[in-house]
Amino acid sequence: MAVPLGAFIAVSAVLFFIGTAGVLVRRNAVVILMSVELMLNATNLALVAFSRRFASIDERGSVFVVFIFVVAAAEVAVGLAIILSAYRNRPTVDVDEIRQMKG
Amino acid sequence: MDIFGAAFFALLTIGTIGAGVGVVLANRITTSALLMAFTFLNVAGMFVLLGAETVAMFQVLIYVGAITVLILYGVMFTPQSPRPYGLFFQTQKYWAALFVVPIAIFVAVVAFEFRDSAAAGGSGGDLVPLATSIFGDFAFPFEVASVLLLAAMVGAIVLVKRDEE
Amino acid sequence: MIQNVWVIPALPLAAFLINGLFGRRWLHRWTGIIASAAVGLSALLAIGVFFEVQGGGHESTTVTLYEWIGVGDFHVSVAALVDPLSSVMLLVVTVVSFLIFVYSNAYMEHDHGFYRFFTWLSLFVFAMLILVMADNYLLMFVGWEGVGLCSYLLIGFWFERPEPYVAAKKAFVMNRIGDWGYTIGMITTFLVFGSMQFTEVFEHVDIATEANLTLICLAFFLGATGKSAQLPLHSWLPDAMEGPTPVSALIHAATMVTAGVYLVARSMPLFEAAGPSLAVVGAVGAVTAIFAATIALVQFDIKRVMAYSTVSQLGYMFLALGVGAPVAAIFHLATHAFFKALLFLGSGSVIHGLGGEQDMRKMGGLRRKLPVTYWTMLLAGGALAALPPLAGFWSKDEIVAAAFLGGYPVLWAIGILTAVLTAFYVTRAMWLTFHGEPRDHHLYDHAHESPAVMTLPLIALAVGTAVLGIAIGFPPEAGFIHRFLGPVFEHEGAAEHAVEAATILTLAAVSVAAGVLGILVGLSMYVRHRPDPAAVSRAAGPFYRLLVNKYFVDELYDRRIVDALRAAFGAMWAFDIHIIDGLANRLGWLAAVGGSGLRRAQTGIVGNYALTIVAGLLVILVAYGGYAAGIFTR
Repeated sequence: MAVPLGAFIAVSAVLFFIGTAGVLVRRNAVVILMSVELMLNATNLALVAFSRRFASIDERGSVFVVFIFVVAAAEVAVGLAIILSAYRNRPTVDVDEIRQMKG
Repeated sequence: MDIFGAAFFALLTIGTIGAGVGVVLANRITTSALLMAFTFLNVAGMFVLLGAETVAMFQVLIYVGAITVLILYGVMFTPQSPRPYGLFFQTQKYWAALFVVPIAIFVAVVAFEFRDSAAAGGSGGDLVPLATSIFGDFAFPFEVASVLLLAAMVGAIVLVKRDEE
Repeated sequence: MIQNVWVIPALPLAAFLINGLFGRRWLHRWTGIIASAAVGLSALLAIGVFFEVQGGGHESTTVTLYEWIGVGDFHVSVAALVDPLSSVMLLVVTVVSFLIFVYSNAYMEHDHGFYRFFTWLSLFVFAMLILVMADNYLLMFVGWEGVGLCSYLLIGFWFERPEPYVAAKKAFVMNRIGDWGYTIGMITTFLVFGSMQFTEVFEHVDIATEANLTLICLAFFLGATGKSAQLPLHSWLPDAMEGPTPVSALIHAATMVTAGVYLVARSMPLFEAAGPSLAVVGAVGAVTAIFAATIALVQFDIKRVMAYSTVSQLGYMFLALGVGAPVAAIFHLATHAFFKALLFLGSGSVIHGLGGEQDMRKMGGLRRKLPVTYWTMLLAGGALAALPPLAGFWSKDEIVAAAFLGGYPVLWAIGILTAVLTAFYVTRAMWLTFHGEPRDHHLYDHAHESPAVMTLPLIALAVGTAVLGIAIGFPPEAGFIHRFLGPVFEHEGAAEHAVEAATILTLAAVSVAAGVLGILVGLSMYVRHRPDPAAVSRAAGPFYRLLVNKYFVDELYDRRIVDALRAAFGAMWAFDIHIIDGLANRLGWLAAVGGSGLRRAQTGIVGNYALTIVAGLLVILVAYGGYAAGIFTR
């Protein structure tokens, strides 16, 4: 039997949920960034699943996914740049310790 | 035959979810990074299962290829002193659980909604429709995306530059 | 001419604007000439209007400029009512103003506020003309307020010293109390009659109840009391003498203070229909007349004597109105304007000649040094004492005769008694200033007569004083002015009493005798010292002190009213500071506290912020889910 759409959505949702948990729970900034990538992947999966199921003429969902790739790549680059430059100030990437924005 | 499809899917699911959990809970940071790459691969597999081979190709190229490497560079340049496992997690973990659990419930409900829907995966490949759309309707956003990448690249360089120059 | 009647106030207004805008920098001395010329032209026009009204059968005409307010039922126009009464007032105001303006060119010559003086004075004339020309109560109020303002500005003209400033404030505040009465009268008039226009209101007097009319009239009379310095709002007038003498002459003798008399005279149809109001008017007038006369007996400042005299004479005018003789009141208004202005200008001439001295105890024997001033003032003093054939006699005699013939013997007696006192204090003032031996030789030696620019107006006024009475008031009850103004006040219900010549002559004789008596007593006391004035003052002891201190009215007001008000104001200030400001402060404190409380959300830990985002996401999911499940309806 073919895989029902709901299954893909379920996987996407669970993956998204895992990614969120990672963002909220881990201390290391790089790991947080990784978790964000997981969330993005989850959305990509959902988009492609819907796109393939409901619209095959122009595949707009997939087009959107392509653009998400672009943005995710850019975001990782800039995010890491920020992390590195913060690391230069104090040799830590622990988000609980970086509190300069307090108040 | 379809049974293979379903089995393949189950395998991919275990891989994706398992690796995802591993990313969040892993002991060492490099383990997290590699498990993340593995997750990406599994997702690419799911794309293939759906019939979106082009997207799967992009996924592998960009995520498994470029982004994983970037993350590894990040890990390399930010060594942390060793610490006990408990300190891997933020102090707000309990509050986080409080908020995340309801979302999980919601997620389950949503997933449940779609259980009876028909099979996913349309007919034919996705290369032709994808290309037609991108270079047709979405040519302008495509160009803008390239500008975005340029800006990100320049921005990243500027952010990391040292002042002594 | 009547159709162009609006030019008359427009000229002083133009003078005000020109002098005000350009006087300080460019016009200097020319301000006086411009202002005087403007008023002079207005006077000529007023004469023209007067003759046209007289020749046209004493009709009343309304000349409308434009409709000022038109809101629902409320319509007020800027319009002039040109009838015998207003044309007389126009004439008096413009002619006397003109003479005083000319005089001021020399009197204020050395003052560095020269241009400012003529600016305010021109504005004053404009406002006064509006007042007398208006055809409705609201427009009249504009002029009413305007003259009050100018009075304040001119009393406090020398504001570098504290006394003029305080006196100006006092004048304005007391005027304000009267204005409050005027406003109530005006508004009630509108509520009762639906209009504020004189002709409309007077034609429909019968639609109002007597209670309403009494309220209106008493309210207006309160306004008149404030403006014309009658009891109990009289004490600002003597203090107003802090202003320059021409101001005292114009505003506080001839024009502004007569506005109250004009108001009541104009509103006679209302007063006549409102039962006891006229009685109140007459009683207040009579009591004020004798009250002020007693104070004038013992004052040493020559201007203060004249001020109290003005209050007293205004009392006479109200007395006349109260006994139903409005023509007599206006007649006295006109003659008084001339001789009182003359008395003030003459006093100014004396003060100017003595380099600023106003205390009569330092004067004496000045008739040799200031002859023109002396003879003109003597004429005016005689008019004030009501000696025939001078103007004052005809008008004052008519007032007291009207009181007697109208059946008010008490008021008549008060009038006669006041006449005695008036003659006495006039004699005293004249004697102390001009006769006897000079008491301060230094002042005497430097005394000099005033220049022609000042003495010519004095002479002009003196001529008026001499002949005006006979010219327009003779024979009594049948003279020109009676024929001219009569129709204004005549209507059904006015009792025509036929009076025999014999009665009139007898009454006249009594009046004259009263005046002569006063003069004789005065001369006896001051020339022959029989009895000696100083001895009399000592013998009168406490009564004398009472008079010198003006019956302690000011002190009474100060303690009872002003202090009570200060306490009330203190309470209000405390309320404002603690409660109102306190409220504002508390709100600010609340904002600050709230802010610092909310600040604790800014932990600086990025993870917390991410958690907040997720929490928001949860809310959205719950809402969406609830909506989709039908739990929340739109």
